[in-house]
Amino acid sequence: MSTAALIVTLGSIVLGALLALMMIPVLVWLERRIAGLIQDRVGPNRTNILGFRLGGVVQSFADVIKLVFKEEYYPGHIKTGRWLYIIAPAITFSAALLAFMVIPFADTVQFGGESLRIQPLPVDYGVLWYLAIGALGMIGIFFGGWLSHNKYSLLGTQRAGSMGLSYELPLGLAVVSMMLTYNTIDFNEMVRWQSGTVLGVVPAWGILVQPLAFIIFVVAIFAETNRAPFNVVEGESEIISGHMTEFSAMKFALYFMGEYIAMNSASAVVITMFLGGYQLPWLSTEMLNIHFGIVALALMAVLPLFLFVIIRWMRRNNSVRTTVSTDGGRDFETKVLTYALIGMGVVLELILGCFVFFGGGGTGTAIAVILLQIAVFVFKLMCFNIFFIVVRWTLPRFRFDQVQTLGWHYLLPLSLLNIFVTAIVIVGVGL
Amino acid sequence: MIEQGIFWILTLFLVGGSLGMITSRHSVFASANFMLAMIALSGIFALLNQSFLFLAQILVAVGAVITLALLVIVSVNIHQRYTPDEPNMRRWLAGVSLLVLPFFVLLINTAGKMPISFKDVPAEFGTVRGVGATLFSDWVLPFELVSILLLVAMLAAIIISRRGGDHDA
Repeated sequence: MSTAALIVTLGSIVLGALLALMMIPVLVWLERRIAGLIQDRVGPNRTNILGFRLGGVVQSFADVIKLVFKEEYYPGHIKTGRWLYIIAPAITFSAALLAFMVIPFADTVQFGGESLRIQPLPVDYGVLWYLAIGALGMIGIFFGGWLSHNKYSLLGTQRAGSMGLSYELPLGLAVVSMMLTYNTIDFNEMVRWQSGTVLGVVPAWGILVQPLAFIIFVVAIFAETNRAPFNVVEGESEIISGHMTEFSAMKFALYFMGEYIAMNSASAVVITMFLGGYQLPWLSTEMLNIHFGIVALALMAVLPLFLFVIIRWMRRNNSVRTTVSTDGGRDFETKVLTYALIGMGVVLELILGCFVFFGGGGTGTAIAVILLQIAVFVFKLMCFNIFFIVVRWTLPRFRFDQVQTLGWHYLLPLSLLNIFVTAIVIVGVGL
Repeated sequence: MIEQGIFWILTLFLVGGSLGMITSRHSVFASANFMLAMIALSGIFALLNQSFLFLAQILVAVGAVITLALLVIVSVNIHQRYTPDEPNMRRWLAGVSLLVLPFFVLLINTAGKMPISFKDVPAEFGTVRGVGATLFSDWVLPFELVSILLLVAMLAAIIISRRGGDHDA
């Protein structure tokens, strides 16, 4: 194994772990702030370290510290099988975390004759891995819910099980129609397929090639991740917290974090299969490698504008009402962050300027293209995560029988129909 | 050397999980042990570089079979009075075990005479394309027959559960 391969492998693993784990506090924060936005209130914005609030994201870290130091509580009626009760949340958590690890963050690169995947687990059967490992998460819910010996937990577990099973079918069938379209089960090949265009104008993203499969897949993935409007598993007004009712401290936190990681993985799979993955529309990796100078110039032009908007938005919002005399260090935070953002912008402009005026050479351009694609991937990931959150705070919860009707009576026949139509079209094109 | 170590650990889990499955008193622990055994088995497939078998094993055995079994366990409330009366079960078990002991000797003998080295498989063996092509060319009739068998079993289960409708009117 060469040095380049080692660096790329380690870098991908670290990036995958960071994107999965560090996304949890950010997503929890976004959830609360967007809920606040939609309900016309502010949301958490007081917790700070030396005056630094970062818009309230510090609150999530405070929550983590609270959960770690909270008392471990075991219901007294759990006699046998406490070991299984303890590892059940860990099963759900690790299944969600492992399912994320097959997402490509950038296109495969060639370094010294080796082709290296920018993917934490460099395998070429990503779709199967996601379906297989993602399904393991349900096992943890079953064990935890059953061993709690609690009526609400049992009800939640039954709901989770029957809903998971009925939505696994449309999910798998939508994936099958996408496999037929792309003729591969490799996530990276899927993204490369989407870098082309349809009719010479429209980017060949999965959402435009297979809109029905996209709708089925997104609805099914909302149900699989137990997110609203399908959160009947933990319908607070009906069954307290479902399978999590008897769990406390870090065991509860593992279920909770597992849910957010599952949502993050689901967004990553949706953008990889349907929204072009790490690709910029109309710009395939080969084109980026050849014309990186022009792209860098365009980025140089956009970056100051982007920073200007962010800094103005921050200066306007990171302040207290005029009637409050103390600002609690908000002015200081705004000042420091403004300088930090301007400094970052200047450094990025200098680096991009080097690419524009001197050219990066083969290796330099390749690395720059990887970083650009990772940035595009993270941007799309955040957008889809925000879509998840906005849907949760917009739609009311379905009743359980409505959930089952939607799954069996509408989504399953639709996905079967979609497979037939896809197969006929593919055979027709091949003739 | 590392491969052998992993192999022995996986085997330990496989045998231990299987034993735990049949000796557990409660069905939830039995299915937990079954899951352990199945994951160890898929690990052995992964050790042989058979990625498709590895994932199919997890997808089918863990994702489908154990999930369904657990759904039945959490949905059905089994009381002692519904289970069949088995007064001399341990005695029966011991007697049947003694009866099949000669076959066990036969099994050990057969396993001892197996060749140590095997031919290398072709490159297409065990990949998704390879399995799919074999399944839908050489084995298409057995494949379809198995699906018809499963369909018949499913219909039978639905009809039987519909007929005895005295407790769920």
